[in-house]
Amino acid sequence: MYAQAFFVAIFGLAAIGFGVWVFRTSSMVRSALALLFSQTAVGCMFLAMQTEFLGVLQIMMMATEMSIMAIFMVMFMMDPGGLGGMDMTHQKRFSIGAGVIAGGVAIAVALLADWGPVTPQAPDAAMQTRELGMELLGRSMLIFETAGITILTAMIAATAVAIPVQTLANGGDKEDSE
Amino acid sequence: MTAVLIVALVTGAILFGIGVYGALSQTNLVMIMMGVELILAGALVNLVAFWRFLHPESYSGQMFVLVVMTVMAVEMAVGFGVAIARFRAKGSVEMEEAGDLKG
Amino acid sequence: MSAVLLPILPPLIAALAVLLLRRGGPGLALAGATLSLAGSLWLLVRVGGGQPETFLLPGLPEMPLRLVAGPLTALLTVAVATVGTFVLIHAVGYMKRESGLVRFYAIMSLFLAAMQALVLAGDWVLLLATWELIGMCSYLLIGFWFQRPEAADAAGRAFLYTRSADLGLYVAVFMLIGATGTSEIAPSLEAGGSTSTAAGLLLLLAAMGKSAQVPLQDWLMRAMAGPTPVSALLHSATLVAAGAILLIRSAPLLSPEALFFVGLVGGITTVAAGVIALAERDLKRLLAASTASQYGLMLIAVGAGVPLAALLHLLAHAAIKSALFLAAGDFQHARGGTGFDQLEGVGRARPWTFASFAVAALALAGIPPLSGFFSKDAVIAAALSAQGFAWLGPLALVGTLLTGAYMARSLRLLWRGPDETLAVAGGAWMRAGILGLVVPAAGLGLAFGSIEAILDLSMPDEGIGVVLLGLFAGLGGLLLGSLVSAQRLLGPIHQWAESGLSIAGGLAAWVGRPAMAVARGCERLEQGLYVTVLRTGHASLVVANLVRAGDERRINGLIFALVAGVQAMGARARTLQSGLIHHSLAISAVASAVTLVVLFLASLSF
Repeated sequence: MYAQAFFVAIFGLAAIGFGVWVFRTSSMVRSALALLFSQTAVGCMFLAMQTEFLGVLQIMMMATEMSIMAIFMVMFMMDPGGLGGMDMTHQKRFSIGAGVIAGGVAIAVALLADWGPVTPQAPDAAMQTRELGMELLGRSMLIFETAGITILTAMIAATAVAIPVQTLANGGDKEDSE
Repeated sequence: MTAVLIVALVTGAILFGIGVYGALSQTNLVMIMMGVELILAGALVNLVAFWRFLHPESYSGQMFVLVVMTVMAVEMAVGFGVAIARFRAKGSVEMEEAGDLKG
Repeated sequence: MSAVLLPILPPLIAALAVLLLRRGGPGLALAGATLSLAGSLWLLVRVGGGQPETFLLPGLPEMPLRLVAGPLTALLTVAVATVGTFVLIHAVGYMKRESGLVRFYAIMSLFLAAMQALVLAGDWVLLLATWELIGMCSYLLIGFWFQRPEAADAAGRAFLYTRSADLGLYVAVFMLIGATGTSEIAPSLEAGGSTSTAAGLLLLLAAMGKSAQVPLQDWLMRAMAGPTPVSALLHSATLVAAGAILLIRSAPLLSPEALFFVGLVGGITTVAAGVIALAERDLKRLLAASTASQYGLMLIAVGAGVPLAALLHLLAHAAIKSALFLAAGDFQHARGGTGFDQLEGVGRARPWTFASFAVAALALAGIPPLSGFFSKDAVIAAALSAQGFAWLGPLALVGTLLTGAYMARSLRLLWRGPDETLAVAGGAWMRAGILGLVVPAAGLGLAFGSIEAILDLSMPDEGIGVVLLGLFAGLGGLLLGSLVSAQRLLGPIHQWAESGLSIAGGLAAWVGRPAMAVARGCERLEQGLYVTVLRTGHASLVVANLVRAGDERRINGLIFALVAGVQAMGARARTLQSGLIHHSLAISAVASAVTLVVLFLASLSF
């Protein structure tokens, strides 16, 4: 129990720390990498809370996503290295205020609410995975299917949006835009 | 045992706060998306903590986590598609200059 | 065809014929009058024995119009027809040179018919109708020369005076019909008590108007502005007689209190009108005042309780006064006017007319054996035998004296002077008419005995003293009039008498001026009301316009303000839509926070 608490705390702190670093650094790549580490820490938190499948899933997915993001950073940022030293923020006070209020309210709820009895034991990993699978293909089949369709749609949409506008070579009386 | 729950929840809350700050204050589209990622991460932490400490018998919690992860992925995909299109059209993804839809 | 209609129909048909044919006026009118005379004589023969004849015409529900011919009414029809015939004969000559003859003869015939119907009336409704008819004919005839202002004025005045007095007749008739439930005259005269006194006084009021008693005597003198045949027929023998006839016929109704007032009015009129006649400067006006005075004598007789005496005097006076007026008409044509200063000496120029005038004048003064002697005697005897003889007697005697005085005065004035004359057209006709009336004027007294027999009444026995008293009064008056001038006779009151004994301006000031003032006040009020209404209308129009404009502006303003407001709000709302992502994110963050708070608070209450 104590070990769990300790590890959850450690990984939590790590996630928070890397999260803060995302926005403090002016280098785009470093922001992406910081985010990657933050998400990984979150995944480790999952592992510490004995949800192995989810934790591994988190780590895998986030690692891939953040890497792609890092590539995009380099592609599109005007100052990916962050050497210019410009302050790239706006409505600073409002956003700080919003963040503080949002976090504060959540912390207050967490601390003040009565969560009831805490279950000490969790099922083991194989069981969890099996049960999750049963859940996925049983009761939550509709959600599963919908999620699948959504991912397909998203893939098509993203591809369609990303395809460049094509103009014909002869005079341009026909324009094909997608 | 409750302490762990509390710790997890607090962590989730802080991550959420940082994410809100980031989403609202950044000028770059990709940075805004990073903020959104952090928000969702905070939500995930809370979800998992609730599942593990309060209702481990019901797997809807884990289902919810899967859905959130799916949403994160989808959102990133489409968002980057839009970013590419924007970059091609305007040469930058700075949101300060993106007042085209001003009504 | 009932004999009762015989006196009425011929003149009525003649009037219609003259109006329709518009020619042959004199002939038709004369025919109508003569036939009426024949008819009334025949009627007198029929009912003279004492059996009255009745003729009913449909009238109001349960009140048929009745024509009743009894001895009294038949006698009166003969009198009316006689005077009417001879006056029309005279009028043929008098009106020879006039225009508008169709109007004249038509209305004269209509008047004759109406007067006969009034005399024969057996119920109050017919009496009222014919009373009004003769008033209308009088108005039309007095104003025959309506282009002359004094004629139109006189006609209007006559109508107003008599109409105002007719109110008494109307109220009395309503009272009597209401009290007895029938409109027949004979039964209604038996109403007793306070009804009879009130009705009697009101009938006296009506008689005062028609018979020109004080204080309503002025209209008769002004009515002399009409043609002389009109004065002869209407204003000496028939129309003014209607008042006396009314009182004579309703004598059974009159209570002692009413009789007292009748005698009082008659007495005052006799003396006052006699004084006015004495001071008059115009022959016709003198004769008019004399008429009023004689009718005063008749009222004294009725007031003394002897209506027979009044009737006898009425018959005699009708012939006498008509003869006098017809002679005056002849004089008028001879000198072109009727003022005494114009007529001086005309008697010498027209001797036959003057002789007739003198005979009638002496008859009026009461000289035997002329008719006036007998009738005056009857009146004086009645006055002296009455309850109030102490004051009725002297008044009657003074009246007789004054009669002699002014008749002698007129004779003197007509004789003394140059005997020039204008050419008189139609002299023969006029003379025929005058002669026709002078004969009864002189000889009617001999017929009084048979009249009394027809009526089955008799005069109370009068002592020789009364006869002598009357004779001395008449002779004394004649002497005074022929020897002493009017100024010296009347002395201090001569001026006053000349102006018609008017008190503080007469009726013109007492009634006319206040009435005109009221009328002017009413007109001002009406103008004021009119102006007020107009102004109110204007004001409401102005208000309406203001309201409309205000409404338009307000409503328009409201609508436009609404539109502007919505546009302004839209403009401000648009600022939210900057198109910038971070603004949208900020707004969504705030909105989510608000939603969460609301949901949280909502969950608290459950």
